[in-house]
Amino acid sequence: MNATSPLPSSRGILSDPEASEWLKSAFKSAAERDPVDALNDALLLAATLEERLRSELDLL
Amino acid sequence: MDKRPEVPVEGTDSNARGQASTAPAWRSVTRATNPFRGGSLLIGRLTEHGRANYQFRRDENASYFVKLLTSRGAKTLWGKDLERALNAGETRPKIGDLIGARRVAREAVTVTARQRVADGRIVTEEAHHAHRTRWVVEKVKFFAERARLARRLRDEQADVRETVRAHPELKSTFLSVRAAQEFAARRIADPKDRERFLTLMREAMAASIQKGEPLPELRLRDPSIAEEVTKGVRTPRPDDPTR
Repeated sequence: MNATSPLPSSRGILSDPEASEWLKSAFKSAAERDPVDALNDALLLAATLEERLRSELDLL
Repeated sequence: MDKRPEVPVEGTDSNARGQASTAPAWRSVTRATNPFRGGSLLIGRLTEHGRANYQFRRDENASYFVKLLTSRGAKTLWGKDLERALNAGETRPKIGDLIGARRVAREAVTVTARQRVADGRIVTEEAHHAHRTRWVVEKVKFFAERARLARRLRDEQADVRETVRAHPELKSTFLSVRAAQEFAARRIADPKDRERFLTLMREAMAASIQKGEPLPELRLRDPSIAEEVTKGVRTPRPDDPTR
């Protein structure tokens, strides 16, 4: 059987009790910005956070 | 047009390689750039996984896919072994978990390429030798723990007994190191060669642990060696050198 999880909508994230406050706050803040700039920054943030994770956890 | 025989190959990445295909024989295999060739760790949020025909094409063999949302976009991994890796892994990742996926080995397999006609009937079958990729798919914390264990093994100054007490899962690994030390002491005369052999062996084991491969299981004919590693007791053996 396949297991799947479609990407949640913006409303879904904000109402999800499991979603972190950090994510909700970032989402609200991003929603007020230009969508291109917001996504561009978010991608950079994601890539940077991944590098940090790899470095701190010594993941090769 | 290139008319090389089809070589069924295990699909190992998001878009690139074909695998054990039922597609018509004599079709060339596309080999695009693999973004994580060489077994590096792909990290992402597990969004979907399941059985499907390779690349979701009707004329391809049954395979297994894992979809990840990575910091560089969505990726789909393909490979029959992904199902085993997900279900038999130590951490059994669930949808929404941050996971790591790594190719750890390629195993030789024989697969049958079939040529079908329009109504689906098979008209030719041909056996080919190919390779199946073996995967490790675990929650990211598993790889962090393995990195920590690998550091312990690399640290030659570490107290083995203390390390084994803290990480009993490393016992077999240290027994392997101990066995290698005994082998080197008996068979390698030059101290520099001996040291080099042990360094290489230790590093190979540490790298394997860090990659997430199964920890070694060792069966000892001489149980006193296990006692030596866990308790630090050195039992004299009949073939020990005499003074």
